[in-house]
This record gives sequence, structure tokens and C-alpha cells, in this order.
Amino acid sequence: MPYLTAGFVAVVLVTIALIALVALRPSLVEARGGRVLAFLALCVLPLLMTALGVSAQVEHSKSTEFCLSCHVMEPYGKSLHVDDSSWVPAQHYQNNRVPRGEACFTCHTNYTLFGDFKAKLRGLRHVYVNYIGTIPKEIKLYDPYNNRECLHCHAGARSFEESDLHKEVRAELAKNATSCLECHDTIHNVHGLAGVKIWKEGKP
Amino acid sequence: MTGASPRLTRRLQLSGLLVGLGLAVEALTMAWSHPTAFLAFLLVGGTLVGLGVLVYLYAIVSN
Repeated sequence: MPYLTAGFVAVVLVTIALIALVALRPSLVEARGGRVLAFLALCVLPLLMTALGVSAQVEHSKSTEFCLSCHVMEPYGKSLHVDDSSWVPAQHYQNNRVPRGEACFTCHTNYTLFGDFKAKLRGLRHVYVNYIGTIPKEIKLYDPYNNRECLHCHAGARSFEESDLHKEVRAELAKNATSCLECHDTIHNVHGLAGVKIWKEGKP
Repeated sequence: MTGASPRLTRRLQLSGLLVGLGLAVEALTMAWSHPTAFLAFLLVGGTLVGLGVLVYLYAIVSN
């Protein structure tokens, strides 16, 4: 991302310099070359940069840093660092079972930008509530957690498929008739964070 | 070369100002990791750039 941002800013600066040239020397557009320059500076490059920027912003919104940038999400970020392997998100995060840089998105693939139109509207509402509205004391998922989020990694994995307990409910899990969270029920547990031991993430 | 008409000059300058401001907002928001940055990029930066491009296209079509 830093390289992308630096590249984006560099091209923006070049574009602004070209725009300044056209705006300060409008007589340039009388010549064919000047018209091409103005078309590039005032139309092609700005639209191209905006399209690339949207793509980069969407990609960046998958990052854990992005999700945890709102104050209300801080306890959820903290729950990834609990030093107890019975906490499902912490166990996945700390053992690289989900990429740490995209930990939230890996298990919540249908949120805000990546969900349907309704999810995108909810994302806008989240921003509004964060600044102007009243943040609810307890944050809940809009819909029951979908087993798809677990099965997109675990389905087909030997440890999952050969487990006798999983074999019994395999069809129900696939249909979401039984939730994975019925058994694996220590999730973010943000109300239980006080006093728990926190794992210090070291640098590799 | 007779130089651009004052009207075309004004419109090109307005377009340049809008596009330049829009790109500056977009560049600033790229460095900030927050949902608000995304919205500012799209709603402020994108709108300014879009308006600037429209002013430019109108300027060359109407000239």
C-alpha cells in the first residue's frame, strides 16, 4: 500500500503540474499538441487516477487496520490477541490461519463494501453513526453468522472432514441448519476481555 | 496563433481548479486508512474531478 500511495501521489502531482500549465497558458490549446495535452491533463489522467484510486481504496478496505480504525471496533481487535486458543478468532489470527493483514474480511466476507447493496448502505450508516448518531452498546451481526465463512477454508480439510463430530452434522453445516458457532462458541467475546492475558505480537 | 478566447480560458481555468482540487483530495485520502477517507475520496474527490471533466468537455464542445 505505501508504494501504491506514493505512486498515486506522484502521478497526481504530475497531472496537477500539467493542469497548471494548461490553466496558466490557455493559448496552448490553439495548437494540436496543446489540445492533446489539455485532453490528457483535464480528462484522461484525472478519470484514470480516480478509477485506480477507487480500486486501491476498495482493496485497502479489506485490511484489518481499516476495520479497526473506528473506536468501536477496538475490543474486537483486542480479542484477536487474547492468549487463549479457545477463542476462535484469536486462535486463527495468531496462528496465521487467516492472513493477519485481512483478518476481519476473511471471516466476514459480506460486510459493507463487499456485500450486497443493502450491506453497502449499512456501511454508509456505520460512518454516520460513528460521527453523528448513537453507537449501540452492543454490536451484533445483521444476519446469523453464515457457515460459508468457515467452510470456505475448512471444507475438504482432513482435520475437519475426518472428525466424527463433524461427520454427524456435515450436511446440516453445509445447509446452515446447524451453526459452527453452536460448538465453537467463544468468538470475540468482547465483554469478557477484562483480565484476560493478551499475547504480544512479535515481529518476524 | 490568436490565443484562446477569454470564455474558453475561464472555463479551462475553472476545470483545472476543480480537477486539481479533486485530485489533491484523492491523494490526501489515499494516505488515511479509515472509512471516512474512502467516502471523502469518492464523494468529495470524485465529485470535484467529475465536475472538472464536465466543465472541460463543455468548454471544448461550446468553443
